Amino acid sequence: MSTILMPEKRLGVRGRLARFNLLLLLLLCAIAGVGVMTLYSVAQDSVGQGSWDPYASRHLMRFAVALVILAAIGVTPLRYWLSAAYPIYFAALILLLLVPIIGDMNNGARRWISLGGFQLQPSELMKIALVLALARYYHGLEFKKVSTILGLIPPMIMIAMPVGLVFLQPDLGTAILTALSGLVVVLLAGLSWRWVILGGISGLAGVVGAIQTGLLKPYQIERLTAFLDPTWDPLGANFHPNQSKIAIGSGGLDGKGFMEGTQSQLGFLPEKHTDFIFTIFGEEFGLIGTLGLLTLYFVTFFVGTRIALSAKSHFGRLVSMGVSLTLVMYVLINTGMVMGLAPVVGVPLPLVSYGGTVMLSMMGGFGLVMCTWVHRHQDTLRTPGWR
Amino acid sequence: MKVEPFDTQRHMTFTRRAAVTVGGTFVLFGGIASRLYDLQVRRYDEYQAKAEDNRFKQRIVVPLRGEILDRYGEVVATNRQNFRVLLVPEDTKNVAESIALLEKYIPLTDGQRTQLLREVTEKRNQAFVPIEVMDNIDWEQFAAINVNGYDLPGIVSEVGDARYYPDGVAMAPVLGHVGSADAKDVKGAGDDRLLYLQPGFKLGKLGLEQTYEEELRGRAGSKTVEINAAGRVIEENDNRGHGAEQGSTLALTIDADLQRVTHQILSQDYKEYPEGTDGPGEVSASAVVLDVITGDVLVMASTPAFDPNAFARRVDRQTLRDLSQSPLKPMISKPLAGTYPPGSTFKLLTAIAAQEQGIGADTRFRCTGSFRYGTRRHGCWKRSGHGWVGMEESIKHSCDVYYYNLATRVDIDHVAEVARRFGLGQTYDLGIAGEMSGTVPDRAWKRAYYRTQPENQTWFPGETLSVSIGQGAVTSTPLQLAVMSARLATGVSVMPRLVRGVNDRLESIPAFPLATSDPAHLEVVRQGMDAVVNKWGTAARSSLMPDYRMAGKTGTSQVRSLKIDPETGKPVPNHELPWRERDHALFVSFAPFDNPRYACSVVVEHGGSGSKSAGPRARDIMRAVLEKDPANGARHPLWQPGQDPKRPRVAVADVKVG
Repeated sequence: MSTILMPEKRLGVRGRLARFNLLLLLLLCAIAGVGVMTLYSVAQDSVGQGSWDPYASRHLMRFAVALVILAAIGVTPLRYWLSAAYPIYFAALILLLLVPIIGDMNNGARRWISLGGFQLQPSELMKIALVLALARYYHGLEFKKVSTILGLIPPMIMIAMPVGLVFLQPDLGTAILTALSGLVVVLLAGLSWRWVILGGISGLAGVVGAIQTGLLKPYQIERLTAFLDPTWDPLGANFHPNQSKIAIGSGGLDGKGFMEGTQSQLGFLPEKHTDFIFTIFGEEFGLIGTLGLLTLYFVTFFVGTRIALSAKSHFGRLVSMGVSLTLVMYVLINTGMVMGLAPVVGVPLPLVSYGGTVMLSMMGGFGLVMCTWVHRHQDTLRTPGWR
Repeated sequence: MKVEPFDTQRHMTFTRRAAVTVGGTFVLFGGIASRLYDLQVRRYDEYQAKAEDNRFKQRIVVPLRGEILDRYGEVVATNRQNFRVLLVPEDTKNVAESIALLEKYIPLTDGQRTQLLREVTEKRNQAFVPIEVMDNIDWEQFAAINVNGYDLPGIVSEVGDARYYPDGVAMAPVLGHVGSADAKDVKGAGDDRLLYLQPGFKLGKLGLEQTYEEELRGRAGSKTVEINAAGRVIEENDNRGHGAEQGSTLALTIDADLQRVTHQILSQDYKEYPEGTDGPGEVSASAVVLDVITGDVLVMASTPAFDPNAFARRVDRQTLRDLSQSPLKPMISKPLAGTYPPGSTFKLLTAIAAQEQGIGADTRFRCTGSFRYGTRRHGCWKRSGHGWVGMEESIKHSCDVYYYNLATRVDIDHVAEVARRFGLGQTYDLGIAGEMSGTVPDRAWKRAYYRTQPENQTWFPGETLSVSIGQGAVTSTPLQLAVMSARLATGVSVMPRLVRGVNDRLESIPAFPLATSDPAHLEVVRQGMDAVVNKWGTAARSSLMPDYRMAGKTGTSQVRSLKIDPETGKPVPNHELPWRERDHALFVSFAPFDNPRYACSVVVEHGGSGSKSAGPRARDIMRAVLEKDPANGARHPLWQPGQDPKRPRVAVADVKVG
């Protein structure tokens, strides 16, 4: 136990709040602010007047709620989260299992369930829950066991179950992202490079096999092949990326100006308030805006990394790094997708895209990062029965 | 600072791995940033241009189709504002549901619905392209869709121009109809491909509309429009691009007024069969009226006909199949595409051929009711016989035996030559596809017909007997019969025409050559035709005396060999035969007798008897024609280029969706 600083458990809620990482909070608010602004522009009417309805105001409201949740998670002792990690994982898993039973059908896929008037996307919650559960697992695992087969089986099962369920919804994008967020935790936990390389090769073989055996739906294959040959079928599978490239490219260095994007106004872009929101931002704010937004994300990631490195508990390190990397993967895949660098798989831009569950899971995740920061000096987390 | 010893190793590993991910992330962010630089700076010009291109599209403006006028300038084919309803599949979550909602206002037939759904499936890759649900909906339906637009996802209404035929069915045999370009049309369209693909574009599919497609179409225009990705026009920009040019005006020789009257007369029941006789329900007949001086076709009617306005809407496959498979052949312009044995009307030509071969008009033969030739007995229609008859009387009473006698004395090749000289066995290229030439048999024809069977190539004198009364292989169209009467009336080789000209280029009428070397030959025939109608001949009931003096000739042509009732030994009456086996009824005429101006032919398919079925119709048609004759007080100046056409005043709601 630290003798330099006051033990966190003796701090009151107010004291823990005072230890919050303000830079991280500021960065999250800035990113969400970009989202509110862009959503305001997206909703503009025919005369070019922006609108708080229907997206911007609700986005702001959700962010405010998510901030409160972040604070609540942040002030809760980190050891509680360690204890709650598995229950949270299983709760999320049950919600995922419920999706095919009581889920709402939309565009041929069941991804949502309604809970007391809220629409919830359990797959989004699962990403954070998986990071949490894996961190919990490795926290209690001796390092020498990490790369043994016996030590590798439980995390693989923990990853495979939700990924399989999400894939069957079907939601290829989220399935890939979920798998990646789980795998980075395993990587951070110190899995030997031998395993990593072996896993990478077998994963690639698995994708090829999935295409060969028809496990992927035709439209999923279509999107993947469209990504490989962008000149094919300009109005079909490639319509989104081609149009979004035009929108972003026509933004130029300094953009067309706030609410001046023609491609978005004229309706050339689908799902412009969710997965394709980066194109609107890119069209209106140009390279200066897009690089600025990327910088915000990267600095957020960097702050998360710093928090992770500062933490004394292995649980805290893994959770913080896992959440930060999940954010980065969202950003990379989303921006890569809208610019034609990755297939269109339906991944939102965190905190900017309109969508409640993603906001909730992302902010909840950063609540855990914040919590790690607040409790960074705790090492063993004093969990009974654990060293 | 106390650190748990077992944690040291994994902490160090974690730190290394974290550093690796930070490095990797930095590289990937760099990749995204360089892509952004590539898109937004390096290729900015290209995407800027594409963005402009996205917004502004050159739209083809479908030209207005040229109008078609009758001889007095009355509009018989025009364009009028129409309302159509379109479906944009992209704008609705459930296409079937949208269609179901739409059907509350616009009922669709099962065929139309199936076709629509098929089209939606075919074009699912371009779900933002509107698909035409129904053209030419009426104002109330249009208003209903507009009022309820919010409850009809994906349903759009539009105002455009559509072909409209004020006379509907009556003009169909002349005008034909227009229709949307099908896959085959588009394939052969060449440079006009884009125009062919426009939702509102129609091209001629039948009749004059088809033949004069090039003249009527006009020139497509273009305009620049700002559109959104759904293909919806945000703003039109007329000053970029050029306007469309309307197609040429087509001036016809047809008198729309008489055409309507004739259509009416042909469709009417003339009680030719006793009450209760089975029939097809409608009269299948055709009539042609010619101006014998100019050759102008005043009337070319055919019943039953199709409704060309229905084709401007969406005609489903079932309706189309019904129309094309009907035994009454409504899709065919019978006046020039229907071929019938001319029957007794051919006797006029046999009489001329006989005179030209030296058999005088005063030659008399005795009719005993039948004529023995070789071993075969050929009967006259009057079984009791006509006694001694001369040429004029033979026409008046239509005595068959007289012509059997002539047949043994004339050469078939000469008869055929006369038939051709008087209009049979040829086409006149009136501008309607499917015109038939009919058959005028002679030795050369038989050789050609049986070219693979040399044993059948010999012409037998017995065949001349059949041909002399217009039976056997000889066939003709109602148009040819009208030309024949015109040439008999005038003695010159009148050529019929249907189109006076295009735009301001009216064609002049050429001087026609004489059809006969000796007018006296014709005089006998004309006197005979006068007697047929006005001197208690076979068509006495068709006389227009004392108002007008019309000359004519009946024809009743068998479509199968005579059927004898085994019990009575008499021929079975027509009305006891199935409709398809009954005799065709024909009538050819011209009037006024003293100074011929009009020729008319009427053919009633399976009408039973020329004197009962065709003659009275020709009489009524001719009366209408003569009442409109300038010589009888009614003044109708012909339309001249530059004059305003006479437009019918029709309310939009007149056209009902069927």
